[in-house]
Amino acid sequence: MTDMVDTADAVRTQGLFKRFGQQVAVGGVDLVVPRGSFAGLVGPNGAGKTTTLSMVTGLLRPDAGLIHIDGADVWRDPVTVKGRIGVLPEGLRLFERLSGRELLSYNGQLRGIPKAEVERRAEELLRVMDLADSADKLVVDYSTGMRKKIGLAAALLHNPKVLFLDEPFEGVDPVSANTLVEVLRRYTASGATVVFSSHVMDLVERLCDWVSVMSRGQIVAQGPLEAVRGGRSLNEAFLGLVGASANGNGEEGLSWLGATPA
Amino acid sequence: MAGGDAGMSADGTAASPGGPPPGTGNGGAGSVRVGPLLFARLKLRLIAGNLRGDGTRLVGFVFTVLAALVVASFGFFVMAMLRMAPAGVAADVGTVLFTALLVGWTVVPLLAFGLDDTLDPSRLALLPLRTRQLAAGMFASAVTGVWPLTTLVVTSGAIVGLAKGAGGVLVGVVAVLLQFALCIVVSRLVTTSLSGMLRSRRGRDVLAISVIFVILGAQLPNLLLNRGLAGDPLALLDNVASALRWTPPGMAAHAIADGGPAALAELAFLAVLVAGLGWLWIMALRRALVTTDASTEAASVRNSRGLLARVLPDGQLAAVATKELKYARRDPRGRVGWFAALAVTGIMAFSLNGQEGTSPGPALAIGPACLGALMIGLQSCNSFGIDGRSVWMNSVAYGTARDWRTDLAGRHLAVATIAVPALAVLSVVAGMLAGNAGWALPAMLTAWGVLGVGLGVGALTSVLLPYTVPERLNAFTGAAPGQGGVAFLASFGAMIGTSLLSLPVVLPMLLGLPWVVALAVPYGALIAWGGRRIAGNLGFARYPEILGAISRAA
Repeated sequence: MTDMVDTADAVRTQGLFKRFGQQVAVGGVDLVVPRGSFAGLVGPNGAGKTTTLSMVTGLLRPDAGLIHIDGADVWRDPVTVKGRIGVLPEGLRLFERLSGRELLSYNGQLRGIPKAEVERRAEELLRVMDLADSADKLVVDYSTGMRKKIGLAAALLHNPKVLFLDEPFEGVDPVSANTLVEVLRRYTASGATVVFSSHVMDLVERLCDWVSVMSRGQIVAQGPLEAVRGGRSLNEAFLGLVGASANGNGEEGLSWLGATPA
Repeated sequence: MAGGDAGMSADGTAASPGGPPPGTGNGGAGSVRVGPLLFARLKLRLIAGNLRGDGTRLVGFVFTVLAALVVASFGFFVMAMLRMAPAGVAADVGTVLFTALLVGWTVVPLLAFGLDDTLDPSRLALLPLRTRQLAAGMFASAVTGVWPLTTLVVTSGAIVGLAKGAGGVLVGVVAVLLQFALCIVVSRLVTTSLSGMLRSRRGRDVLAISVIFVILGAQLPNLLLNRGLAGDPLALLDNVASALRWTPPGMAAHAIADGGPAALAELAFLAVLVAGLGWLWIMALRRALVTTDASTEAASVRNSRGLLARVLPDGQLAAVATKELKYARRDPRGRVGWFAALAVTGIMAFSLNGQEGTSPGPALAIGPACLGALMIGLQSCNSFGIDGRSVWMNSVAYGTARDWRTDLAGRHLAVATIAVPALAVLSVVAGMLAGNAGWALPAMLTAWGVLGVGLGVGALTSVLLPYTVPERLNAFTGAAPGQGGVAFLASFGAMIGTSLLSLPVVLPMLLGLPWVVALAVPYGALIAWGGRRIAGNLGFARYPEILGAISRAA
């Protein structure tokens, strides 16, 4: 009955709920991402971003709620959904003892893409990601930026319709970040959807046309970037939404800090 | 290590209960002398912090303390009882034991590097300490602990066992202290000079592999005795002791037994040696503190396509099987597992046949071969565990139970690629050792059948009882904290299950129905297929839970 949800949305969840022991990590999230958008999922640490993305991508079983990607139910119709999504989870969990090239071809073969085609795509991705020189080194020896890039390459290899990235820019140097941004822009320009989580408001403001703000396991604001920030900078809007005061409260303590040592 | 950090910061912020050290309470007000005592206290707090709020660690610690107590009292007792033995034998035993202690102190901290934050100089590099202060402090933290105390107690036993007269006791006390200092300084020197290497990925890989050689090395005396090569154990002891006579621990033991002017000369030499090694250690420390590690240089791997990849049709099966073969070669955990399984079986085959009084028969060939198959099969009892957190990549691609079955089949294929020829060689060797090369064929067929059973059972335990295998391999644990029970259950369950399901082929063989051997391989293949079939469905139904169980922080 719920299979006939609005197919104009790339992602739609209803009442998504997850509890770890006593802690409610995600308490009834209705995430909506329109098709073709470059969407940012922002929120402070512990807001439930990673848990939400894990459930949406089928890596974590929700306690309650529905998830539809492109109209297909993630937990009832996994074959359809898994063919359509690409994932870069948190923590850079990759097969460490494969080389970058082997990782891509492994991933392509798992998804049943013919070998010749996998190799052609892998070669192009490695070149675009500026990883051609390190293609035959083991992933265990890669830097953070290189890992994010090879992870993104692996997520893009099967040409998914919706791409989920958890903190893709965390710990990445500006050069690699620029490469990632360029690739993602080209990808969304072709009509595909990107959903990524981040703390970096400037980046979200620069890249995204759609923003969902999470705080304490809930979506507190969601919509086109302009609507969410309402004339302010996204950072100001965000601090207001999650209920933090913009000026720090470090005035009373720390009187010795910066004073001349006795 | 994370536990140690947490314990440290917890101790740092909380007011320490039970008599706070003077002067450290009001941070910043007045400077405090940073002496060796501070490091000894740091070590004690690291131990205490590690135990906080974790029942399993507490139990582990209690067991460690009990074990140390047993070792200390038993060691002291053995040393003291040397008084009853003839003087020559007593001195020989003392020499060998002292040397063994020194070797132990050199090797064990290396293998367990990382269990103790005070061992790694880079952790202390940012503190404003002089090298000399640091050396004194690290020496103090090195002698603080359960095992150093145990060593000291065992070593002191030699005074009771070997010394003669009041002068001898005096010499003995000095010799024991010097021997103890030697153990500590040598162990510090070795870990400090290698600390750069130990932090690099390649260094840790090499070290992980070397664990095997230590385990095998420990089997060596056992083997020698079993084979009856020693003949007269006293003569062997004498040979070993005379070879070790002029090593520093040998001199320490001799000094205690001798007690004369020669003893004094030996003590003087030992003192100079300890001081010299201490100086070398300070130099190594100074260098380790200012040298950055060059661990980011990485070599390329050959981008070759294995035979299996050329033979297999393109797809999931080939992808998983070739990946597994690469892991068996490149992941130290994979190499250690394979090597250990084969080496242990080899040793078993060797020593089973060495024993007198066992009647030769096909069982002597079949037994070791089946044992080898069982050991190899046990490695598959947690198939997804070694991949650990990276299995998400498979699970976002697999949409059906069939995909999971194919994945397991790929893993089984990879294991079989290595195990089938290995078991064949093992069977031939076992057959020849048992005295009849003709027994190799039934041994081989039975072993292959048992392997199939092991893989089938292992597929089930892999999806029912998955656990995280720590990335850092050390010789002491095989599972992430808190999952020891699951790991035990999985490997024990797989062992019992495999043994029971193997009975239909193994039992008739041992009872003298050799024609049953023809059925062993089909039977094993059937069990493996059945295991994959059930495990594939289960795996698909509960893969988020499997993913959670194998992705624990270790």
